[in-house]
Order: sequence, then C-alpha cells, then structure tokens
Amino acid sequence: MSNDPPLLILTSLASGPKHGYGLLLDIEGFAGVRLGPGTLYGAISRLEQRGLIEALDEPGRKRPYRLTGAGSELLEASLGELRSIVDEGTARLQRSPGAVIGGAA
Amino acid sequence: MRSLLWYPRGWRRRYGAELVALMDELGDRERSLLSTRLDLARCGLAERFRILAPGPLPPRERGREGALLVLYAWVLFVIGGCGIAKLSEHWDAVTPVGKQSLPAHAFGVLTWAAVAGSALVLAGVALALPALVALVRRGGAADLRRPLARAVVLSSVGIACTVALSRWAHTLSSPNRNGHDGLYSAAFAVVVLVGVACLFAWASAAASIARRLPLTRTIVRLEGVLAAVVALTMVVMALATVIWWAALAGAAPWFFAGRPAGSAGAQALEPNMIVASALMLAATILALLGAERSLNGSLRA
Repeated sequence: MSNDPPLLILTSLASGPKHGYGLLLDIEGFAGVRLGPGTLYGAISRLEQRGLIEALDEPGRKRPYRLTGAGSELLEASLGELRSIVDEGTARLQRSPGAVIGGAA
Repeated sequence: MRSLLWYPRGWRRRYGAELVALMDELGDRERSLLSTRLDLARCGLAERFRILAPGPLPPRERGREGALLVLYAWVLFVIGGCGIAKLSEHWDAVTPVGKQSLPAHAFGVLTWAAVAGSALVLAGVALALPALVALVRRGGAADLRRPLARAVVLSSVGIACTVALSRWAHTLSSPNRNGHDGLYSAAFAVVVLVGVACLFAWASAAASIARRLPLTRTIVRLEGVLAAVVALTMVVMALATVIWWAALAGAAPWFFAGRPAGSAGAQALEPNMIVASALMLAATILALLGAERSLNGSLRA
C-alpha cells in the first residue's frame, strides 16, 4: 500500500477534505510515507480525471479535495482486497509458523 | 518555479498554483533537496508523455487514449512517409522496365494504403464532430481556443514559408535545389521543421479537444475499431515500403545513390531512407500499442 499513492490519497480523504500539504502530513502520519510533491499531484490529477476525487471551490491557491461516491466505492473495494490478502497471509503463517519460504536451508 | 516547466502547459494551468503553494509550505530545505527536484522532473515528464503510459483508466477513457495514441503515431508515420515520397521520386525512370513489376506493385499498395489510412483518420474526426458541436453549443468553445490558435498560427507560418520557398526554388537550377545551395538547403530544412511542428500542433489540438468531448460508448467503440484498422494500414504501408526498397535495391541500386542508371558498386542503404523507414517503423509500433489499448478499452466500455 505504501507504494500506491492513489490509494494513500483516497484513504487520507476518507476522513474529510484536505489540500496538498494536509494530505502529505496525514499520509506521513498514518503510513510513514513521505510522498514527493510531484508524485502527490500526479496521483491527484489522475484521481480527479477518473472522477474519484473532486476539488472544492475555495478561494486561494490551496484547493482542498474530497472523495466522490465513486472514490469511496473504489477505496472500499481496494481495502477489501487488501484485507483478504492480509487475512490469507496471516492464516498461512499461523498454519506453519516455522516455515522458511524458498526451501530448506 | 522553474521545476514547473517540466510539466505540460495544460497541467500547469490546472495544478501549477496548487503545486507552488505546496512547495512554499514545504520550506527551503525540502524544496531544495535533489530528491524533490528529481521527483518533480520525473512526474513532469510523465505528464508530458502521458499518452504513452496513461496509467489505470476506466475502459472508455482507455479506449479514447488508445485512439489518440494511434493519431499521434499516424502523424509520425506521415512525416516518415513524406520522406519516402520525396526519396522515391522518379524511381521508375532509372529502373530497367523488365524489373519494375515487384517495386511497382509494392509502391501501388503503399499508395492505396496511404489513401485508405487517410480516409479512416478523417472518418474518425467526422465521428467526433457531433460531440464537438454539442460541446460548443453548451458553451465549451472557450476551452478549445488555445490549442486551436497554436495550430492555426503555426499553419499560417508554414504556408507562408512554403510559398516563399517555392518561389525561391523556381529561380534555382535543379542541382542547387537538390543540395548544392547551402542557404536553400537550410531554408528547406527549416520549412520541413515548421511542417512537422504544424502536424503535431494539429494532432495535439485534436487530442486536447477529444479529451473534453462527451463521447458515447458507441462512438468510442467505433473510434477503437477505426484506430485498429488505421494501425493495420500502417503495417501494410511499412511492409510495402520494405518490399519496394528491397526490390529496387536488387533492380536499380544506383537510384538510392543518385548515380546514373547501370552504375556499379552503388549501395541501397542510403541514410535518408533508413531514417524515413525507421520513423515509419517506430510509428507503426506505437500505432499497434495504441490500437491494442483502444480496442481493449472501447470494447469493455
């Protein structure tokens, strides 16, 4: 997930609208990832083009963004997929706690 | 902020002020980091070449971006094709009559495929016209002015330069028109560059407008099919060019070296032919990539 800026942005916006710097700080707080400014706005522009987020009309240079309905649905689906991978990985580790992946040493 | 220059103008217009505001908040230390500058350069270039790798898009948008990539590939192909058209002038005059059959057939296929491809590109434009009219009626004309203005200005310059060059050419002898007059050759190269810039300006204007059009699923699908057939005509033309070149290399290699008919030791691997053919080949590969993207997206839309 830390390599997926769009998902990080959608997750951040799930708690409410934020502008660019607010997104950077929030993502760094919950994911420990400091996105570059180009990476952040590259992902924002793609998400906006896909109609997953939208800019709020506010005066000034700092425009906040919020999730759209389609963005919320996509975030929910993506988190569901991640959850199933986490559950499966956790279950497999619990079934064979001493297993070494890649064969015998 | 100089780093913004990595980004295309349209992107800067929409997000530039926000990105500058973010950079202001980051502070001097983070702003001046090499990693920050590289991030902006990488992402800015990615925006400029977004047509090549648009990233994950909804099927309809993917279909549209694929068709636009085919359009850009067509422009590149036309540039290579113009080179081949110039380099192939009067090939039949210096080729033994008994050896003209294969190159003549290949050249005929090349010509007809060029006509068919051009007609298909025009059909693609015509398909999008109703959506364009609807956009203009809804007051969207203002958004179209800037990309169109650049293409119109460049075309006007190109036409003026071509007329001037043509008048100049009529005062020169044939050898001077074909490389012996350095000044004329330089002017010719400038006019060619302006012509290339014109073609890309129109393609860019078309792409910019097409991205704003509310195209229906049916139109996107039809555009996808047209894009695929255009790509096929480019494959046919590239193959026909190679066959014509190879056939003529065997029948009249002196043609490529510009030597008198029957000269011994002439090479068919002439640099201008190689460059023109390489452009056509690169364009064909891009078109196939675009056609796959276009069909894949539009049929799922």
